[in-house]
Amino acid sequence: MTFYLIRRVAIGILLLFLMSAMFFTLTRVTPGRPITVGENPKIHQSVINLRLHRLGLTDEQGNSYPIPQQYVLYLGALLHGDLGDSYLNNEKVTTLLMQRLPNSLLLLGVALLVALAIGIPLGIFAATRQYSKLDITTSLVSYIGVSIPSFVLGIYLLLIFGVILKQSPLHWGFPLFGMHTGGVDDPIDLLYHMVLPVTSLAILQIAIFSRFMRASMLEVLHQDYIRTARAKGLSLEKVNYKHALRNAILPIITLVAIAIPQIVNGAIITEGIFSWPGTGQLAFQAVVTRDYPVILGVVMLVAAGTILFNLIADVTYAIADPRIRY
Amino acid sequence: MAQVPPLPIGPAGVPGAVPDQLSVETTVQQERDLAQPGARADEFGVAPELGFWRLAVIRFLHHRVATGALIILSIIVLSAIIVPIITGDLYRIQDYRHPFKPPFQSLQHLLGTDDLGRDELARLLRGARVSIMVGVLAVVGYLLIGGTLGALAGYYGGWLDNALMRFTDIIISAPFLLVVIAVTAATGGVRLTTVIIVIAATGWYEIGRLMRAQFLVLREQEFVQAARALGASNARIIVRHILPNALAPIIVSATLGVSGIVLLEAALGFLGYSIPPPEPSWGNMLQNFEQYLLDDQAYLVVFPATALVVTALCINLVGDGIRDALDPRQR
Repeated sequence: MTFYLIRRVAIGILLLFLMSAMFFTLTRVTPGRPITVGENPKIHQSVINLRLHRLGLTDEQGNSYPIPQQYVLYLGALLHGDLGDSYLNNEKVTTLLMQRLPNSLLLLGVALLVALAIGIPLGIFAATRQYSKLDITTSLVSYIGVSIPSFVLGIYLLLIFGVILKQSPLHWGFPLFGMHTGGVDDPIDLLYHMVLPVTSLAILQIAIFSRFMRASMLEVLHQDYIRTARAKGLSLEKVNYKHALRNAILPIITLVAIAIPQIVNGAIITEGIFSWPGTGQLAFQAVVTRDYPVILGVVMLVAAGTILFNLIADVTYAIADPRIRY
Repeated sequence: MAQVPPLPIGPAGVPGAVPDQLSVETTVQQERDLAQPGARADEFGVAPELGFWRLAVIRFLHHRVATGALIILSIIVLSAIIVPIITGDLYRIQDYRHPFKPPFQSLQHLLGTDDLGRDELARLLRGARVSIMVGVLAVVGYLLIGGTLGALAGYYGGWLDNALMRFTDIIISAPFLLVVIAVTAATGGVRLTTVIIVIAATGWYEIGRLMRAQFLVLREQEFVQAARALGASNARIIVRHILPNALAPIIVSATLGVSGIVLLEAALGFLGYSIPPPEPSWGNMLQNFEQYLLDDQAYLVVFPATALVVTALCINLVGDGIRDALDPRQR
């Protein structure tokens, strides 16, 4: 187990290196110098040189470093926890990320919890009542859920709750954009603002979780030991929720780890649509303005998070299921 | 050997699978008849044998939802191909006297007009073209890259296998959307060809892994050993013996892949990283959604969004229908 852990961590770090090299090269061969983005055209050459030097792109005289050297500089800074400076804001990428990360974690965490809390029971009920109305409805809804991308869902939600309901005689709806200035200090208001973005992020995951849970539960229910348990006279509830569920729910751990990059993907656009001040919105803006260090920073952060969560999922799996050994 | 009626399902359509049903006395002529299903099979007292693929088509047509989805999808695809040829430049003709014409009011602009007075229906159909073209071409790319690499990795193993798995690990742990955007930006300018190539180059791993898994299982099977014993070359074994047996899940995955790409292309267009503006796509038609929603022009948002969802849903349903048709055991 220890050896396995060490190996996995080593592979993870190697992956991060490869990815940073890949993306660094990509962002550096991109046409357009960073200084051309959102800068006063009358700026003096020496200021440009100074800024390019500060960004780690040139030496003091304004001569560009070759890309491998730039990468080594970038890596050196990365090891000190420095992801470079944003081209657009005069800020460090790490500062920007740290400002936004708590908001994103809040949104993504709640969305994931909601998805798990709804998706898993839905899948279990659908499986224990196979071919019932509930089962068919669940399959149908999860089908549609998979086919709607989160940004289209977000737009639909804005239309229904932000426009149609507000104009209806009810004059009621959820706030369209952003987080209230109160932020985390005002939980009720925060919750109110979270409803739409969380819904639009959670639907896809609910669809995936319930589908997967149903399949996993059905598979377990058809196994011999379940029939044995029923044959020896245990009640249906006990067999379903004690014997079957324990085995069926295990693969969900892995699924959650897989779901994380998906949610992050969705969050990039969803946060942009709902003006949620998180990392996704940061990436959204960085993409629109082509602020590559920020894009690179977000990619690295997400990749590190994904690798970490995959590792945690595997370890949890091994703890939860003693049959698995590494 | 007793006369066993041929199984209606299974590897019957696969070349080389039929002759094991023949008794010793069968003449050459009868053997030929069996090889051509249905020709003179009634002499044997068995029903005309249907091939694997024909049976699959029949099973698919029995699946009502999937057939319905296929019909809707064909209507969308056909009108996306044909209508823009007839209407020509209608999608970009601007009529400044009639911007934001509401839908269902006149036959001239059935779905209304957008902010520049362009016909919304013409733009939707033109956009369908973009979505479907990107979807189909990128999946062809998936199949070429993923299929080839997956097959080779699964068949030969070794370093290629390792490289494939590591590449997949990298792609899976990065946010795919940002990857595509970064690569698109790096390859200079946003053009449709770039978008297709980038999607194909970064998204093929799913089909690659599936192909690899298929090949890993199939290469150990007896019919492959038999082919090898008969002296077939590796290339022949891969193409003639393993590939036909590995196809079913690949076809399903490719079909579902199209809907994934259609949605991805829309997301890219929405972010301004797909086909550039004068040309409409369902994604970039949604770009000004905030303004449309706040100004009461919701139809300009609803139409492209709904077109997107309906298309993706239909492709998924067809894909599932194909899955059920190709593998009747799995349901």
